[in-house]
Amino acid sequence: MNRQYASPKGYSAYPRAPSAFSISPNRSFQPRSQPALRRRRQLFQRLLLLGGVSLLLVIFIFPSWRAAIIPTLSLGLVHPSEDLQLQTVRYYDLSEVQGTEKGWERGERVLMLTPLRDASSHLPMFFSHLRNLTYPHNLIDLAFLVSDSRDDTLGMLTRMLQEVQNDPDPKMNFGEISVIEKDFGQKVQQDVESRHGFEAQASRRKLMAQARNWLLSATLRPTHSWVYWRDADVETAPFTIIEDLMRHNRDVTVPNVWRPLPDWLGGEQPYDLNSWQESETALALAESLDEDAVIVEGYAEYATWRPHLAYLRDPFGDPDMEMELDGIGGVSILAKARVFRAGVHFPAFSFEKHAETEGFGKMAKRMKFSVIGLPHYVIWHLYEPSVDDLRHMEEMEREAREQEERERELQEQTDSTKAKAHNAAKGSDKGSDEGPAAQPAKDSAKGFSNL
Amino acid sequence: MAVARSMRRTSPISLVLAALLAFGFIVFMLSPSTPSVSASASAVSSQHRQEDAAEHPLSPPTKPFLKSQAVRSNGLQAAPPVVHYNLNNLTSSGNAIANRERILILTPLARFYQGYWDNLVKLSYPHELISLGFIAPKTKDGNAAVAALEKAIHTTQSGPIDNRFASITILRQDFEPPLQSQDEKVRHKMSAQKERRESMSRARNSLVFTTMGPSTSWVLWLDGDIVETPSTLIQDLTKHNQPVIVPNCYQRYYDSNSKKWDIRPYDYNSWIDSETAQDLAAQMGPDEILLEGYAEMPTYRTLMAYLPNFSALDPHRTVALDGVGGTALMVKADVHRDGAMFPAFPFFHLVETEGFSKMAKRLGYAVSGLPDYFVYHYNE
Repeated sequence: MNRQYASPKGYSAYPRAPSAFSISPNRSFQPRSQPALRRRRQLFQRLLLLGGVSLLLVIFIFPSWRAAIIPTLSLGLVHPSEDLQLQTVRYYDLSEVQGTEKGWERGERVLMLTPLRDASSHLPMFFSHLRNLTYPHNLIDLAFLVSDSRDDTLGMLTRMLQEVQNDPDPKMNFGEISVIEKDFGQKVQQDVESRHGFEAQASRRKLMAQARNWLLSATLRPTHSWVYWRDADVETAPFTIIEDLMRHNRDVTVPNVWRPLPDWLGGEQPYDLNSWQESETALALAESLDEDAVIVEGYAEYATWRPHLAYLRDPFGDPDMEMELDGIGGVSILAKARVFRAGVHFPAFSFEKHAETEGFGKMAKRMKFSVIGLPHYVIWHLYEPSVDDLRHMEEMEREAREQEERERELQEQTDSTKAKAHNAAKGSDKGSDEGPAAQPAKDSAKGFSNL
Repeated sequence: MAVARSMRRTSPISLVLAALLAFGFIVFMLSPSTPSVSASASAVSSQHRQEDAAEHPLSPPTKPFLKSQAVRSNGLQAAPPVVHYNLNNLTSSGNAIANRERILILTPLARFYQGYWDNLVKLSYPHELISLGFIAPKTKDGNAAVAALEKAIHTTQSGPIDNRFASITILRQDFEPPLQSQDEKVRHKMSAQKERRESMSRARNSLVFTTMGPSTSWVLWLDGDIVETPSTLIQDLTKHNQPVIVPNCYQRYYDSNSKKWDIRPYDYNSWIDSETAQDLAAQMGPDEILLEGYAEMPTYRTLMAYLPNFSALDPHRTVALDGVGGTALMVKADVHRDGAMFPAFPFFHLVETEGFSKMAKRLGYAVSGLPDYFVYHYNE
């Protein structure tokens, strides 16, 4: 009723003459119950509002009630499952992931596969290689298979991978990372001696093949253009290795694999003898063997006379030179993903008398894919001393120690002579010249036995 | 004047209440929903689906992924997570549902038949454990098939939760199929068979090796023209706990003589080897292949198509086989993981599914068939 006072000035222009201009209806014509009705309606509205608010509050406080309440309120129009927020359908055109020579420019994804077993000692080295790769990291998907490991390979791998993915520099982060655990019940001992023994080779290679296939089949995606197999025990490799191998634009490409040796063993040595070209002798040999036999290269039992990629190396040769191969080694393989999509894999059975990576090369050839090696492009495998080498090193160390003893004795002699007579100083000089010369040999021997 | 009047009429209390209501509404609309705790089967299934989903789009195609992505404190997208898969715990057993084993159904798609899709949706195995994979050529027929497939997928994947499949992958193949025609007569000509089946092998290999995920226990190969199976197909095939098992593929047809619908054998690629066939193979050149079902090349193999005992059908009866057909074929994922694939080249004079069974056998796996258990092929 204080309406009149709301804007008293407004009425000054139109002075009210209540008696003459009143438009208010005569009270006697109004429904009598109106104010009561209005009051009731207001109460009703407020109650409704209060009810609504309290309902919302209840839903807010107990989110789990939503599923029960929402469909009722919305007459089933808003189904609670509508917000599963899941993408379930994927569409890929495989002709877009063929793999070209400049994959890094076209954003082609590479799947990098590494089988691991008791490899915790190699992991720091492997991760430094990973970080240094120049191929765009976001285009590289990493996959590891950890099998039959007795050391902390898995824990260490996980920690290091998490570190890489949490790196604040987005250029350091890789794409999809899968760590697969699967034990194959490896009966064969993993030390160097038994690993390379002839007898164990065939069954060992079949198990390795199985492991590789499991890793590949679980992690190959329709988005991959390339697959890069890389062992963890590579000591030195160019940072640009993926691009370098990719540039050849072949279906399967392998570099030459050597290993460094201590000086007394010749300084260096071809390591991977599984990359070779087929020879008449080997084909004849294969013909003579039974269906399930597996030829393994590099053993006197099977003299195949095949040309090996490893022996063709010229340290000053053109690193881009290519050589057609039939069997390949698995230390570092770059292959187009379409090779694996076509069904080429690492035979865990005797395929044309070969298994694992050699069988892979054979099968790729059978399906008319190109398989090449680069004889003058070399990566270096870690040197793990064999039992003989270790024995030899121990001997060298002992000799060095004896030499030291002798020198010390000589030194003491000269010292005592020095104390007696000054003119014997010349002999002491000679002794100290020999000391440092013997020292490096001992140091290097120690270094190798630690590896 | 009217607006001002109504504003003036509202009391501060109702304004406060309205504000509170608006606030509550906004909060409710924006807050992410949590899985419902209601006891209905559908809610349990959606919770399983949520839990199984991958965090990042870079993930196995057998998993759905979350639409919203994790973001770092600096506003950039978080790097894909490090994901562990323990395949030591993965089983493929005779009790697939109880062990919640995941099935991947793979279909090389030449044409889309609504009957095929309806049959698929009717399968009674929990759909949240089923992933689908398709591969279609990049031809006119292929485009039409994919368009029809996508329509069917859209209907199912936005329909009732329990009918939705865990994930679906559609691939387009990267090589030309040798034959443009899917015409029945041209397709079955012997000279065209080798080429056709080699191309089919490549399609099958592309499909299985890119879609099989680390959690897949079984792979069911089901051709796009299989329009009728028992709804318990997956349970029935896995129950036998065999590494490779194949039902008998028949076809319904209208017999104009007896004036009624009848069935006849369709797939002749499931067989037990014969000495005649082995002798034939021994005389062949390295690039020649043995084919089944052609009068020009009698192999005298025992065909599973003729093995059903119609007088007393026993759907549980199994026989050991040497070659299998691919119209419907249940394989333990481990067999594919070990490397068994569909040779696109003569492998012991066999290609595609028959070569696959040979390779599985060389890897030490048994191959078996169910002569009295039928699935039905579309009748052209």
